Amino acid sequence: VVVASQPPNILNPEGAPPAQGQPVRPARRSRLSWLRALPLLARPVTVTMPWVTLLTGCLAGIVYLAVMARLVGASRSPLGPGVIRLAFLPAVAALAFVPRAPFRPLTQTVPVPAWVAPTGHLLLAVPVLAVTCWAQLRIIAHTIPPHVLGHPPAVYPLIAQLTGWCAVTVAAAACTGRSRYADLGGAIAAPVSFAAIALACYAPITSRFLAEPPATPHGVTIAWYAVASAAAALSCVAMRDRWHRYARSLHRRSPPGPAPRGTNERTSASDFGRQG
Amino acid sequence: VNIHTAARSTGDAGGPGLTGPAPGRPATAALSLAAAEASLLLRSVLLLAGLVAGGLVIWRAVSPTELLWWDASWQIGYGQVILAVTVLAAAQLAAGRPRRDGMRELYDSFPVSAATRTAAQMAGLAGVLPASVLLAGTAAVVIQARGAIGTPAPGVLAAGVLLVIAAGAAGIALGTRFPHPLAGILGALALFALSTESRLFDTYGVAGGGLPWLFPWTVPDPGQLGYLPGPLTGYPPGGVHAVELAGIAALAAAAALAVTAGRPRHRMLLAATGIVAAAAICVSGAAQLQPVPAAGLNRLVSAAVDPVRAEHCTTVGQVRYCLYPAFGSLLPAFQAPVRGVLAEIPARPADGLTIAQDLSLTLDDPSLAHGHTGQQLARWKAELQTAPASTGTAPAIYTPVGSWPAPRFALALRVAEWAVKFPAGGSPGTGCVPADQAREAIAIWLAITATRTSPAQLAAGQNLIGQRGAGTPSIAVVQGRPVTLWTYPAQYVPTAGDAATASAGGGAGVFPAGPQTTATGFLLAESMTSLPASRVERVLDAGWPVWLNWHTTDARLAAALGIPMPSVSTGVSPPPATAPGPGSGPPQAPLCTT
Repeated sequence: VVVASQPPNILNPEGAPPAQGQPVRPARRSRLSWLRALPLLARPVTVTMPWVTLLTGCLAGIVYLAVMARLVGASRSPLGPGVIRLAFLPAVAALAFVPRAPFRPLTQTVPVPAWVAPTGHLLLAVPVLAVTCWAQLRIIAHTIPPHVLGHPPAVYPLIAQLTGWCAVTVAAAACTGRSRYADLGGAIAAPVSFAAIALACYAPITSRFLAEPPATPHGVTIAWYAVASAAAALSCVAMRDRWHRYARSLHRRSPPGPAPRGTNERTSASDFGRQG
Repeated sequence: VNIHTAARSTGDAGGPGLTGPAPGRPATAALSLAAAEASLLLRSVLLLAGLVAGGLVIWRAVSPTELLWWDASWQIGYGQVILAVTVLAAAQLAAGRPRRDGMRELYDSFPVSAATRTAAQMAGLAGVLPASVLLAGTAAVVIQARGAIGTPAPGVLAAGVLLVIAAGAAGIALGTRFPHPLAGILGALALFALSTESRLFDTYGVAGGGLPWLFPWTVPDPGQLGYLPGPLTGYPPGGVHAVELAGIAALAAAAALAVTAGRPRHRMLLAATGIVAAAAICVSGAAQLQPVPAAGLNRLVSAAVDPVRAEHCTTVGQVRYCLYPAFGSLLPAFQAPVRGVLAEIPARPADGLTIAQDLSLTLDDPSLAHGHTGQQLARWKAELQTAPASTGTAPAIYTPVGSWPAPRFALALRVAEWAVKFPAGGSPGTGCVPADQAREAIAIWLAITATRTSPAQLAAGQNLIGQRGAGTPSIAVVQGRPVTLWTYPAQYVPTAGDAATASAGGGAGVFPAGPQTTATGFLLAESMTSLPASRVERVLDAGWPVWLNWHTTDARLAAALGIPMPSVSTGVSPPPATAPGPGSGPPQAPLCTT
């Protein structure tokens, strides 16, 4: 849980509490005043980052690829791109657990927006994923015989595809985090992402644009970056969204105005009780 | 939640319930818990998604191929792999629930021990049995309804169900130690990778040919199962593999229970179970590494070298049909296109017509040939060199096993080519080219008419001529002149040999022996289909011997029918007078001159 130390200048930037007998007004502060707390948040964000989960997923794929490369190395035959895609799936699965924001109802009451911590985790995950991708590409490159005829397949469509997978996974995780299944988080987002990836690759309609062949490398690259952009936008919207928008019954919406106290607790309690 | 469900169910039924003291009846509590776990597992979204995805995988695997039960039984297993992957993840989630939610102390406060809960979860795997059996049963019914050849292999189908159970047990074992959901996902990915990438061990010939059978599920690559004329003992070893999967399930169950078992007597029992399971895995693994019996391979090679001798032949309407014993039910399907062509031609050639199946067999498949001496393999390979598929000699029109029912048009065209007296045979892929010969268009028109194939359905091949699509035209140089070829759909018949060649990184494929059809011939035939059939028949009847002459040109046929002559541009400039070197241009091909 990211709960930063709360300096007075952030908690109550406009001065002392209201005097006795005066009406309580919500403290007005600048919309960007929380930016001053970012340096203080760096450490807790780094500490609460699920490093073990992410590194386990990344290392699992690298180890798998290294074993496969070792096994087929004797035959001097290159590993296909399908193997590297499969090897990247554990990292994608681990990424699904990164943007989780436990105790969201609590963290969104502090002055710093609740999406800062998950975003910080994602930013920390980016270089790890990049290094994983680089390592896997290096392993694949080592399996290509030195004097092979012709050019090896282009890497940029593969990178675009993996980027798209990551973005879809983050979007799925962010959306799951705003749902009543937030407690399961990545356990739901990862299978959902895998299903989306499988559909993109094997459904006749989508595979025409997202799979190579029949799509061209340029087409695949553009299509996957478009998917990644859309997924990133969806992630932003989902991360900024509020918990109570995802009450279990849409028919029992509270009237306009501030939600009654306890709505979140009731929803959370009932939801947690059904998660099995 | 499951504890409470079980408690409610027992309480409602008048039993002691889990909330009350029930230390003396752990079996009852375990059964109640197992029923609740089974119900939850069966209703799990993951499992239901796996069921749907498994069905799609099976459909995708079997729908484009000839349905042979000795192959389809293993393809059904790939659907079970998908189900097993989801069951593993769901079981891990369920088993890791107490520790993941930080409620271990709460669970421990219940009168049911952790060991009983784990045993109940293991028994709850019975909940996936209906899903797995439903998947296998539905697939079997659909495949049988579509006219599959042979009979289902019960051992292989049972192995698929055992795979799902073993995956569930492994998921529980994983969940009792690693409650984080990522552990289940990684386990599921590992199972998926082991089942799909095990083909690499065959493709790259890693560590011997029998090794892939030890993986949870595998179909050999290059897959020859779908090209065999019947089941081959030990390829793959289905029954023994089921024993291995049962052993894995038992071992995983013992490992899961060992975490929570408290009493020494229970631990001893679990240790003994684990030892027996490990022994069963080892013994079954050793059995799977045994080579395919030489007698079976001898019969297979003989069936490939001299197909007609191994087949049952039937003569119907002066046409001899020879089919492998298991394929007798296909006789009417073979007769239809042949009868259609023969009904259209004004006069039949004097020589007889034989339609036969042949077998494209390769012994470069390590999982098929491993364990046999090099001398024995060399002898078999030498024999296979004399097979019709290798020599291209054609005393009969051959249809490879595993390609039916795709090439109905191909069979009709081969019969039509026989009817217009094209030379049969030639090495595969190097048949003669009937450039500017009217009989070629007539043969294609006969095949289209006999099979009622819409010319639009042949568009895939038409794309290759570069006229209406973006495909690259296939060019052959015939007597110094470039000719655009036409590859009709299903002309390329993938065979086991192709699969072996392609996986080795070479070869484009084997075309059936016979003339290479040209784009001009197809376009002229397509124009002929736009005319009334009676008008075409009248023109053909009037000068049948003339049309069969290889000197009769397409233009003459077009003029007789009153249709414009199609023009095809090769986009290739004529080669120089000197013969080009190998690889310096389009391939040379002989002209059909008989």
